[in-house]
Amino acid sequence: MEEHLILPEGRLYDLIFICRPATPEEEIDKLITTVEQVTAERGGKVEKVEKWGTRKLAYRINRHREGNYVLAVLHATRGDMIHELERRLKVSDAVIKYQTVRLDEQVKRQEKLSQRRDRKTARRPRRPAPAAHPAGEQPAAASPAPTQG
Amino acid sequence: MAEESRQPGAPREGSGAKETGPRRGGRRQYFRKKKVCRFCSDRVDLIDYKKADVLQPFIQERGKILPRRITGTCARHQRWLTEAIKRARNIALLPFGTAL
Repeated sequence: MEEHLILPEGRLYDLIFICRPATPEEEIDKLITTVEQVTAERGGKVEKVEKWGTRKLAYRINRHREGNYVLAVLHATRGDMIHELERRLKVSDAVIKYQTVRLDEQVKRQEKLSQRRDRKTARRPRRPAPAAHPAGEQPAAASPAPTQG
Repeated sequence: MAEESRQPGAPREGSGAKETGPRRGGRRQYFRKKKVCRFCSDRVDLIDYKKADVLQPFIQERGKILPRRITGTCARHQRWLTEAIKRARNIALLPFGTAL
């Protein structure tokens, strides 16, 4: 077996591919199963598969104006998984375009920011309390505060 | 060509902002409503490139990304937004140029 990068904590990817609009449903299902197979083979996990159905393309691809979108969210632990998936999709006749996007860094950033926001909103009610009612009524002052901010 | 692609009202707004400047010492000549970042007011922590309808208002007719001075988006969200728009373009959710 060839050498590959091992990712201890894993990475999250979005894989979108567009099939020709005339592709039969079975063939799309077959493609999805290949994606699942390859992912499992290479130590990954399929988090979610979404079939968006036929959508209008924003521009023409191989003279097609419409395309059948499929989205798969994948968890990878090995660096060669995406490589193999993209190779399979490139070889496939039904697929006219595909894109993989690494998500985990963005998701991590999002979690960090929303955590920070939660902490801030939890802290906030203390500040307007002394201005409104100097003592005793902190819970009363705290409840309208979130709607203000 | 550039003129065509601008949305109505947009260029005037942009040039006007330059004249008044951001909070100068002098009095403002006329009232201008301060633009707020739409993503900040909605508390967006992640701009999803798959939601083309969210990104749509930030591109011009010709597919160009609208500048910050027109939309009022904050620097951080504009950075995320451009990234999302570029990803959406690659997978044909948004056009590179005119739509079809």
